[in-house]
Parts: sequence; structure tokens; C-alpha cells
Amino acid sequence: MIPAIEFKNITKQFGNLKANDNVSFAIRKNSVHCILGENGAGKSTLMKILYGAYQPDSGKLFVDGKQQNFHTPHDAINAGVAMVWQHFMLIDDFSVLENVILGNEPISGIKIDFKTAQKKINDVITKFNLGLNPDDKVEKLSIAEQQKVELLKILYRKPSIIIFDEPTAVLSPVEVDEFFNIITKLKDSGNTIILITHKLREVIQIAERVTVLRQGKKVYEAEATEIDEDILGKEIVGDSSFEIASETKLETDGEKKVAILEKAGLSSGGYSKLNDINLVLRAGEISGICGVEGNGQNEIVDILLQLLSVENGTAELNYSSVSVVPDDRIKKGMISEYTIGENVITRKMGFEIALKAKLKKLSEILIKSYDIRTPDYFTPMGNLSGGNQQKAIVAREIENQSELIIFSHPTRGVDLKSSLFIHDEIIHVRNSGRAVLLVSSDLDELFKLSDRLIVLYNGQTVKEYEPLELKSRLKDAESFTVEVGKLMVGAGIE
Amino acid sequence: MNKKIIFQTGSALISILLTALITFGFLFILGRDPVVIFGRIFSEVFGTGYGFAQTLFKTTPLIISGCAIAICFHAKLFNIGGEGQINAGAFVMALTATSFPGLPFLIILPLSILTGFIVSAVFGFIPAVIKVKKGVSEVITTIMLNFISLAMVNYFLISHFAVESTIRTTKIPENFFFTKLSDFIPSFHGSPLNITLFIALLLALIIYFTIYKTSIGYKLRAIGFNPVASVYMSVNVNKYTIVAFVLAAGMMSFVGLNYIFGYKGFYEYGFSANIGFTAIAVSLLARNNPIGIIFSAFLFGFLDYGGLAVNELVPKEIMLIFQGLVVLSILGVNKLTDNYLKINLERN
Repeated sequence: MIPAIEFKNITKQFGNLKANDNVSFAIRKNSVHCILGENGAGKSTLMKILYGAYQPDSGKLFVDGKQQNFHTPHDAINAGVAMVWQHFMLIDDFSVLENVILGNEPISGIKIDFKTAQKKINDVITKFNLGLNPDDKVEKLSIAEQQKVELLKILYRKPSIIIFDEPTAVLSPVEVDEFFNIITKLKDSGNTIILITHKLREVIQIAERVTVLRQGKKVYEAEATEIDEDILGKEIVGDSSFEIASETKLETDGEKKVAILEKAGLSSGGYSKLNDINLVLRAGEISGICGVEGNGQNEIVDILLQLLSVENGTAELNYSSVSVVPDDRIKKGMISEYTIGENVITRKMGFEIALKAKLKKLSEILIKSYDIRTPDYFTPMGNLSGGNQQKAIVAREIENQSELIIFSHPTRGVDLKSSLFIHDEIIHVRNSGRAVLLVSSDLDELFKLSDRLIVLYNGQTVKEYEPLELKSRLKDAESFTVEVGKLMVGAGIE
Repeated sequence: MNKKIIFQTGSALISILLTALITFGFLFILGRDPVVIFGRIFSEVFGTGYGFAQTLFKTTPLIISGCAIAICFHAKLFNIGGEGQINAGAFVMALTATSFPGLPFLIILPLSILTGFIVSAVFGFIPAVIKVKKGVSEVITTIMLNFISLAMVNYFLISHFAVESTIRTTKIPENFFFTKLSDFIPSFHGSPLNITLFIALLLALIIYFTIYKTSIGYKLRAIGFNPVASVYMSVNVNKYTIVAFVLAAGMMSFVGLNYIFGYKGFYEYGFSANIGFTAIAVSLLARNNPIGIIFSAFLFGFLDYGGLAVNELVPKEIMLIFQGLVVLSILGVNKLTDNYLKINLERN
């Protein structure tokens, strides 16, 4: 059978860096194919070549057996290749329908034919069970729903090959299952799916075939039935340093209570955002908050940062200083135009004179001790890869020596090696006697790091696992996952 | 880093050249010889000490106001209220300087600077607070405040403070005048160019240092680049919005020094001749870099005085067209160089 896509000796070079080095492999028609690799392994470059955003320096690309030279994404779309980006490109003030037809409006006479559009869109929604209402405004939708709108936008144009760039990075476990159902449906209706991801468990769950890239080269390829997480982990990282961090959990409560939220409530724009939040953060302890995104996590973080104040109940904030690694690194975490050192200086409270030498010193210390990969210390942070940006933000916030440090989705979209590094750093912070709040939608991460776990649903803390209980429950991680997963979606709440 | 500056300077020069070419075209269509006219401008400005001094005299207030505007631009705040801020501050500065006869110059000068600064700053504080509290665009409020400020100054001047049948305040004592540079450089004779020029240059250096080398400057620029991230980096966005506006507006009053202490000795209605607006162009041309502003202010001073010098040959408006075109072409050329730099940085 002719493969849907075939890469033949693709090489792409940026300056001295070979982003893709003689990469060859094929993707079967009507299959789910995962591409794995660390940040900077060359996945994005390869996909950009497939999507027409880059042209290879050498090598050939075949789509459906035909050699293609995509010069623009437009060419790729015409050939049936479509991409769902990690960062959504939606217009918040438009409805789902308006977003979907933008740039491809059906016309009758001089006006847009909304009726035809509506019918077409509803057909797609029903066919793939997307559960969207075309008239809803995008700004009101959750992240998972916005992702479906992105997908809808693409399906509306009837592609045959769909690339997903880290689609599950922003989803909770329940949403991931739902997303996989959609993938299965897409495949059943004849599409070829390419997934780029960091999450090994998902790969094993959904993929049929797997390709691993490392430092621009293809290093591994296998059928999903032949692999497990260990094999993949080793292939991705490329050395044997891959292992799950050792057990370091607490068995008793941390000493000092640095923040106490009691029956805390908060509303915004007429909607209740938080009600009945009970949360105690203790020095020398990692409190994990798990929940589907949008259930009050951001509001809790903002209260702790004193950007919001509670309307009901009490919030006792006893810490003298607080640092945060925010959930959205580009929007909230950094000034992209600034270098690492400049980001640090901006973060400092007092007046400082920041001459070149000082900035250099500041950055070089962080670059060295946090293993941030950057061409030089004066490269703007916006030019670093996602994982390195995240490491720089983590470094900046940890170095701030605050009494409380909040990590909100600290490893989202970050490669395996960097993730492990960041996890180690979080544990160090805890061991140095500071209070840590960990907000995440990645259960593995929460289970690995948390000393205490709080489940959040609909602005309420529905369950709290004390350190000792958590530790014993984690011995049977599988059934514990099921239990927490249920609590996260509000099942089993009286 | 240095490559970037070279490129950006280059793009400014290209814009100026482009504008010059278009202006040449204009003059040609008007039936004038552009070479003769530009030759005349150059020989007036660079050929005579007086012309050069006059150009620097016109450059001085543009450096001050350009730097003031730049502070706001760095925080992505649009201060269109320079004209109102200049007039309110300069008016009060002149009043202060003449209200305490008997006090020595060394007390009067700082006092005048202080009162002028405060009054101008108030006209920056108001739009900043409205923006911070109610989210109203500062573009609208500063434009409106121009009307309010100018009308108030006009009213108080005419009804209370003006010298009979004029629109100016009383004159400061002779010994209050700043030293003129012609005292040291005889060829400058006849030009009111005075030490305000050095004050302006010093201010440009201070603002440059503050913006690029201090944590305050980093915070000011941070709220311009990414206000949301600034909040999470515990930068008080509201505070720095107000700081930027108050500093910028207050600084506008220093424009009055050149005219009041350096030239005429009084405040006269309309003295500012739209400096508050020209400052926007000056700052844009220099990409809000205070060192660059010294040069772009000089260009505008050059066009201003050069226009006067060839008044009998071409309408002065030609130079206004030139000024407008420079801004348009710098915006266009900047976009091109930015794209080029971006691609280059990405490649590396």
C-alpha cells in the first residue's frame, strides 16, 4: 500500500544546527502515528516541513505517493494536510461558527450563507461527536472545547491527514479520554493521524506506530505492540539516566501553616468561581491540587498572589513572600523580548542598577545551575525552546527564595528530561523548608510530587488526602487514579 | 546586540533618505530646483555659526519633550497630551519666577522648576489614574486634556497675569537669564542658544540610563511588553503606569526653561508651537531611544530652522510635509528591518 506520507532523507539546517538530519520514515494510511522526542529533537521542524512552513534543504517528501514541495501552508492544506496547533488561533469575540468559516465563507450573492455553513458544521459536529454549539462564543468555552473548535475548523475543510501538536498538554484525564475517542472516530472515517506528544502512557494507549527523533535524527521506530514506557523513555533521552525519581514523600504534616483558606468563596462577572475552598499550605510540604482545568485553580493562585481577594470565608496569608511559576509561560511567565537576566532584574522588588556585567553574571549562574540551553546569555527568552523557557522561569522563581512557591502546570509542554529536572527542583524547594503549591492536570506528576493532595471540582475542595493516607493509597496507583479521576468530574459527591 | 543597533540606525537613515527623495520630487513638481534649496538649507545651518546655533536652539526643546514621550512609549502608553502639559507647566514656571521678587536666583530657579514640574505632572497624573481605575484609553483623555489645559492657561493668562494688551507674563529679572553659548563661542552671536541644551542632553542621558540600566526602567518596559506577565512577576502595573505618565508629563515642563530662562524671559501663549506633538515623531524616529532622540531632535530642528532659512524660495509647509513623511517612512522601513531581524534571529 502507498503510505500516506513518506519522508525521504529530509535534512534541514539552521546555521550550524541540523534540526533534521537525514530523516526517513513512512506513515501508513489510515493509522495513528506518534512522533516522540525531546524539545529541540526536530519534531516541530519536520512537521513544519510537512505543513509547508519550512522547505527542506535536501530530501524528498511524498504525500499519497506523490512528491510534494509545499511552499506555504496553503499548499499543504490543498493537498489535504492540516495541523491543529498547540497554541490556539481563535478569535474570542466570534462564535464557533464564525471562527470555523473565517477565510472560507460560503457565499450566496453578496452575503455569507450562514444557513449552509451552519448545516455543514452541524454535520461535522454530529459525525465526530464533538458536542459543540456553533452559536457559542469562543471566549465562553473551556480549553478543551476551544481545542475542539480548532479541530472543527480543520475538519470543515475535509483534510485527509491531520497533525496534532501536543494536543493533550492542556487536557485533564477525562478530557484526554474524550479526545482519544475523537481520534478513533477520525481514523475510522479514513483519516491519517499524526500525534506529537511527550506523554508516553498516551502513546502506548493510542498509537499504532511510533517514531522517535533525537538531536535531529530518527533513532527508533516500532509498532506500538512492541514497546513499553521504559523502552520509549530510553530512546527519547538517549542515555540510561531515565528513571522515575525515588520515593521522598513526607509522612507527617509540615510544621508551619503559611496559608489557610477557610470556606473561601469568590465570584466574577455574576458567576461563582470559588465556593467552599478549604486549603492549608504548610512549610516543607508540597500540596498538590488536582482537578479539571477551570475549576478554580487559577483563582486560588490569584488569591495567594493577592491579585484577587476572597468574598466569603477567610484567607489567612502568613507568608512574607511568594513566587509563582504561572500556568501559561508565554502570557504570564516572562517578557519574551527580555533576556534571562533582564527577566530576573524585572522580577526583583527593589531598585537596582543593571549593567551588562551584572546581567551577565545573573544569567550565567542560572544558565549553569539550571542547565538552560541558550546560544548565549543575551538571547531574548522568546527565542528559547519551550522547555528552556520553562526552566528559566522555574530558576528565576526558585532563586527568589520566597516562603511560598506556586508551581502551576510546571512541566506542561516540557520534554521528559527537563520535566524530571524541574521535578527534582520542586522537591529541593520542599526540602529546604519552603511551602510548595503544585497545580497540575497531569496526575502522574501530582502523584509523584505531592505530599498532600487536594481534589478540586467546581470551585470546591471535594477531597483532601493527608500525607500518610496519600502515601499508602499510592501503593495501588491504578485504582487510586480511577478514584481521583471520578472525584475530578464530580462523581461521588453528595 | 550591536548588529541590531546598526540595523536600526540604518533603517532610520534609509527612511530619511527616502523622505528626502520624495521631497525632492515635490519640489521638482513645484518647479523648484531641489538641489538649490537643500544646498541653501545646508549652507545656512552648517555654514554659519548663527544658523547652527539656531538649529540647536530649536533642537533643545525637542530633545526634552522627545525623551518625555519616550518614557511613555516604552510602557506602551500614548501621551498625546504633551502640548497641554508643556503649556501648563511653563506658564506656572514663569509665574513662579516672577512672583517672589527679592528671592535669589538660586532659590527661584529650583522653585520654578519644581512648581512647573508639579503642574505638568498633574496633567499626566489625571489620564493615568483614569486609565488605571476605569480603563479609559489615555489617547482620548490626553487629547481632551490638551484643550482643557490650553483653555485654562489662556483664561488665567488673559484675565489675571498677562501684561496689558499682550498674551504674555511679566518678564523675569535680567540676572535670572541663563548663560548664552554665544558668550563662549562668538560666532553664535545673535542666537538665544543657551545652557538649556546641556540640561536637555543630560536629561537624555539620565533617561537612557534609567530606561535601559535600572530595574525601574525594566519594569516600565515590562508593562509595555507584557502587562499580564508583569503582574505575575510582581510588577505593580498600575503604579508604573502612573509613574511613567507623571515623569513624562512633569518633564514636559522643562521645555519652558529654554524659552523662559533662556530666551524671552516670560511665558507667551502659543510659544510651544506644537512641540508636544512633534515630540511624538521625534521619539518614534529614534525608536524611543533617548540617545537616538538627540539625533532625531536635531533632524527636526534642522528641518524647522532650514525651512525658515529658505522661506523666500519655497513655502515653509514643504518642511512640515518632510516631517510628516519621515514618520510615515520610518514606520514602514522599521517594519521591514524588524521582519528581517526576526527571521535572522530565528535562523540563529
